[in-house]
Amino acid sequence: MIQFFQVTKRYPSGQSALDEVSFDIPRGQFVFLTGASGAGKTTLLRMIFREEVPNEGQIVVNGRNVASIPESKIPYLRRTIGVVFQDFRLIPRKTVFENVTYLPRILGQDLKTQKQVAYQALRRVGLAHRLNAFPPELSGGEQQRVAIARALINEPDILIADEPTGNLDPDLSREILRLFLEVNLRGTTVLLATHDRDMIHRIGKRVLTLDKGRLISDHQLLGTEPPRLEIPSENSPKPAGEPGEEPAP
Amino acid sequence: MTLIQAVLYFLREAAVNLLRSWKTSFVAVLTIAVSVLLGGVFLLASHNVMGSIQRWRGEMRVVIYLRPAADLARLTAEAGAAPWVASATPVSPADARQRFTKVFPGLSGLVEGWDEEPLPASIEVALRDPSAQSPELRAWIESWRARPEVEMVDDDREWLGQLETLVAVARGIGLALAGGLLGAAVFTIASVIRLTAYLHQEEISILRLVGATEFYIRGPFYAEGLLQGLIGGGVAMGTLYGLFRLAEARKAASLLASVLTSDFLSPGQTAFLVLLGGGAGLIGAVASLRRERLDSPG
Repeated sequence: MIQFFQVTKRYPSGQSALDEVSFDIPRGQFVFLTGASGAGKTTLLRMIFREEVPNEGQIVVNGRNVASIPESKIPYLRRTIGVVFQDFRLIPRKTVFENVTYLPRILGQDLKTQKQVAYQALRRVGLAHRLNAFPPELSGGEQQRVAIARALINEPDILIADEPTGNLDPDLSREILRLFLEVNLRGTTVLLATHDRDMIHRIGKRVLTLDKGRLISDHQLLGTEPPRLEIPSENSPKPAGEPGEEPAP
Repeated sequence: MTLIQAVLYFLREAAVNLLRSWKTSFVAVLTIAVSVLLGGVFLLASHNVMGSIQRWRGEMRVVIYLRPAADLARLTAEAGAAPWVASATPVSPADARQRFTKVFPGLSGLVEGWDEEPLPASIEVALRDPSAQSPELRAWIESWRARPEVEMVDDDREWLGQLETLVAVARGIGLALAGGLLGAAVFTIASVIRLTAYLHQEEISILRLVGATEFYIRGPFYAEGLLQGLIGGGVAMGTLYGLFRLAEARKAASLLASVLTSDFLSPGQTAFLVLLGGGAGLIGAVASLRRERLDSPG
């Protein structure tokens, strides 16, 4: 699903953000990406949705070499990838409904369909009742759930999250993490960047560790406190993978 | 998304942006309106003055003033025989005096009480083609000027031609001025659109993140520039029509007003000027975003 082959990224200043990074994330896997600040986590994530281009190496996402796809095809790649950020990136003057329905609008879906998919996505994150609220009226955890709903609205193949719990307290962080795990249970490949080592050890999944742009570790962790998850009741079109069970390549 | 859906979306977003940032939009609309209005004023004035000139040209005569001893009848017949002459009318000194008294009754004392007729006899020559400027015609007029029986030849078309040149120069200057102002308006609109894009950069980054195409992202900004221009053009035409009606009301009291208000611009010219405003707005929007990488996520 996501393959990096000897990917190197250097900035014009000569500073190396990624250095010969290689890994393979199969479909349906849940992977933590960790490392200290400045290790290259965000650069790596941005390369997956072609916001950054490597200087060397190849990146294959969903069978497409993202380093070489033409500019005009990038939007179509991004429609298959949901992205969640630490700072939520919601538009304060737009309602929750408007914030989550950017992609349906781009796709030209009618209002009725937009409402249906928005309701479904928000129900998955437990916020279907806040459809008409504005982001400033929501708590931090609720805002992040809206951002996740926006990322999930088109049932993406891949969900990428860059420090999604960085602005949240531990209880809310657990709640958000639980959502990502549930999304993964429905078959979506999840790559979650965090430097919260406690969370990683508690959950126990495949962990990629970056240090100064180099992939220094790729291993499977057994969680000390794996969460109890409920498989979502909605009919999922995708087969659920076996998250956390896949051997690291 | 179909093209119609996209256009409707662009227009809706543009209208919302215009209303939200109405103060900056007002400046952009005003600059477009002033430029288009100036262009419209010059176009309307030159259109009407040129129309008047054409009408006057149809009434223009070549007038041959004769010396006292000249044979009016013979010379009139001779003038009327030229192929480009539609008619040659003799005006005797007595006829000339009566005409003067009728046209300028207040000055009639100037021509009354003389021992001899004070005004010369003349031949009024109407040409078949009043706008003709052939070398043969010019040579013919010059030959009349050179004749001993002729005091002078007055070709009305000469000053009309000079007036025409003057109007053309004035129109050129006016349109150049309007063009310059339109350029300034394009710059203003470009600045307004750039500011709007800056204010929306967060939303643009989200649009880009979720997979919106450049066409979809830029479309609302292009539509906003186009709307500003069209509104500016519409305001200009409305103002021009108002000024036209005001001048029309003063038609009887002013020769200038009567010359300038014979016709308003045609629907085609009006539409052209409104579209010119819209085009300027669109160019401003395209220019403002041409080199912009409208923000980026991450």
